[in-house]
Amino acid sequence: MKIAVVVQRYGQAINGGAELHARYIAEHLARHGQVEVLTTCSTDYVTWRNELEPGVEQVNGVPVRRFKVKHERDPLVFGKRSDRVFEQLHSLGDELDWLDAEGPTSPALIDYITKHASDYDYCLFFSYRYYHAYYGARASRGRAILVPTAERDETIGLSIFQPLFRGVRAIMYNSPEERAMIHAVAGNESVPGVVVGIGSDVPNNPQAARFRQKYNIRGPFAVYVGRIDQNKGCKELFEFFDGYLKDPAGKLSLVLIGNTLLPIPEHKRIRHLGFLDDTDKFEAMAAADALIMPSYYESLSMVALEAWALGRPVLANGKCDVLKGQCLRSNAGLFYETLGEFIGTLEAIEQNRWLAGSLGRNGRQYFKDNYDWPVIERKYLDMFERLKNEVPGPGGDPLPGWFDRRRQDLPAAQDVLAKLPKGPAGRHG
Amino acid sequence: MPDFNVRSDSVNVEQIMEQIRGRIREKRGVDYTEQQIRELAAVKLEKFLDPRGVRSDLLDQFRKAQPAYEPPELPNFAFEDATLFESHRAPIRWIRKLLMPLLKLLFNPNPLIQALNIQSRLNTINAERDARREAARRQMDQLYYELVHNLVVETTRTGIEVKNLKMRVESIASRLEFNERRARALEGAVVYRSTEPDEPRPQRPAPQIPQPRQQPPPRPQQQQQPRYTPPQPSYTAPVPVAPPTQTAIAPPAAVTEPPPQAQGAGVPGEGPGQRSRRRRRRRGRRGGGAAATIMGAPGSAQPGSTGAAGTVESVDQMDAIDRMDDDGSPDSEEMHDAAAEQVEQTGIAEADHAASTAEPPAVDQAPVEHAHVEQPRVELVAPLPAAPSATESSSVAPAEPAAAPPPARDPADHDPQ
Repeated sequence: MKIAVVVQRYGQAINGGAELHARYIAEHLARHGQVEVLTTCSTDYVTWRNELEPGVEQVNGVPVRRFKVKHERDPLVFGKRSDRVFEQLHSLGDELDWLDAEGPTSPALIDYITKHASDYDYCLFFSYRYYHAYYGARASRGRAILVPTAERDETIGLSIFQPLFRGVRAIMYNSPEERAMIHAVAGNESVPGVVVGIGSDVPNNPQAARFRQKYNIRGPFAVYVGRIDQNKGCKELFEFFDGYLKDPAGKLSLVLIGNTLLPIPEHKRIRHLGFLDDTDKFEAMAAADALIMPSYYESLSMVALEAWALGRPVLANGKCDVLKGQCLRSNAGLFYETLGEFIGTLEAIEQNRWLAGSLGRNGRQYFKDNYDWPVIERKYLDMFERLKNEVPGPGGDPLPGWFDRRRQDLPAAQDVLAKLPKGPAGRHG
Repeated sequence: MPDFNVRSDSVNVEQIMEQIRGRIREKRGVDYTEQQIRELAAVKLEKFLDPRGVRSDLLDQFRKAQPAYEPPELPNFAFEDATLFESHRAPIRWIRKLLMPLLKLLFNPNPLIQALNIQSRLNTINAERDARREAARRQMDQLYYELVHNLVVETTRTGIEVKNLKMRVESIASRLEFNERRARALEGAVVYRSTEPDEPRPQRPAPQIPQPRQQPPPRPQQQQQPRYTPPQPSYTAPVPVAPPTQTAIAPPAAVTEPPPQAQGAGVPGEGPGQRSRRRRRRRGRRGGGAAATIMGAPGSAQPGSTGAAGTVESVDQMDAIDRMDDDGSPDSEEMHDAAAEQVEQTGIAEADHAASTAEPPAVDQAPVEHAHVEQPRVELVAPLPAAPSATESSSVAPAEPAAAPPPARDPADHDPQ
């Protein structure tokens, strides 16, 4: 079995969600078949500048074939086109222009897929929102399996992606909420799909005491791991934690791990440790009383899964359907939407050891049942096996013609998004 | 929030979240989000504010009423030094220029030209200034309306907060009132007995050397029994001085005819009406300390006396009951009344006991007395009808360890774990 993993950027040092997801999947599927990664020469998801050499190299034993990006992203043009397609009535041509402006535009990668698609049994496309997935899925001629990593943002409301969701052989969803959203927007219930997610190589015995000693952290604390950014809900987290600090019953500190784009509030119970390697990160999570995940937009949240794998409860933002759904399904985390709920849930985890312990145990079991690597690998292999016995479809709708591209009849993406169903998918997904 | 009613390993996050939200509602009233407050301000404002004074859709109305401002094109003219002689026909311009000296012979046009030129410039300046002022005024109007709108929203929020605070104040006031009542009942119970030293008391089986500070609190089920009434067989020996473990010291009149006070204080045959009347009396009394001072009850509030010690112990018990309240759960008035009743009875019994110790001392028998020091509570609880075996064990074999009360369960121990 030969599989192509197609992703917008790839490398050991690239830690973006979908890219890391693709690398983990490629490395684990490489144990069951021949895997080749097709990607671009870019490492920066803002500029898409060609920073790596085109050609083939090995990353952790997996061959990686890189292709040049035709042009970098112009933020002004991209912003203007985003405003157009997200907020106004527009045409298919506008959306295709937006896709081109978003990048990474790599016709060489698409040409390669067109010519060599028959060399692979399946092509796994990661992240539906980029150029490589939209054109590459068509070019692979019935071999495309999509890992959408879709979040609840305006991009899901663009019309160009609906044929993509309907035209691939199968879709590997990250969560039941993502599946429900894509079904609602594209009506692709007939496309084979399974909720898979991603595993994590969590150490068996993380040294929590070593972390406390190394960073001189005493007392109970909650940890946040990730980019410290307003888009990740960190501003609200700081506001809410400030409210928690005013409550004399609360004793938890907040430890922040990750690069920051926001000013960190100055308080003796708020510590920012910067970017840490995986060892320190896992030890920090093991030492923490809880992980806080304040993000509004998540397609899965690997950090939350890692915390559960380490037996730690998660306090998630209840406005994110995926996180809320994960908490409900796992019975391993609480969630908040208001300041009062934030304080109440945090104090519940802090002050009721039995509750925190039970949530952590449930989380560990939930991870083991659903996100352990053998489970993930089995789901992929089962899907390959299933598709082997099915006749491939036509491979999606044809590209729109000259008139179709210019007809200004597509609603603003944000309007489409507003009509999509909200809320967690339920306990059993 | 340590006390969740989750008692099994199968955690249900939905239930826990419901409990947390319930606790938040209890603590802070309804927790509105910003969006909800805006909705309330826009739609249901009349429930919180006087609808005649404020309109909830001010901003929308204002925007509808205020079209986009465009400054009007005011008429004006341009007047320069050559304006008088301009013409689109070149020959005419040439002739006018040729005749200019002749014109200037007749009058001087320069002041006229200057005046009109200044007037033209003034017109332009004024028009621009008016346009700027109008635009600024409209911007200010926008700000004012924004301000008013925000004030409406904030007033709504404040109204909700006031409502919640009122609820909290009411809740706290009712708790305070109850606690005061309970404190008065406790204090009054101790003083009540000590102010009647000369009244005959029902006879006790064996007055002991009291060790009130070392005594554990009585068992609840024993406290709920009616107050001590001496068993009849023990009254047959009206001996003034008796060994503490065998017979009690009491006048014979007390045996045959107990005083009405003692009967009303909790005899087994007491009716519910009597009990409630007694409770009303206690509630009606003022603070016991003040009453003791006024009445000058001997030994009623002496430091170190038995009565004081009993009070301290009773206060400890009341504190234990108070801790029951600290879980934030709604209180049952009846439960607290019953608990206060128990504590009060204990206090009265101890006050009785203290008074009895002031009577002529019993003949000490060293081993027996020693045994009673070790088992002081036995004496208090022994005569209660609900514990006949304890009575026997205390009077016959006072050193029996089985007669000692078990350690009282901490009522504040609500931890479900």
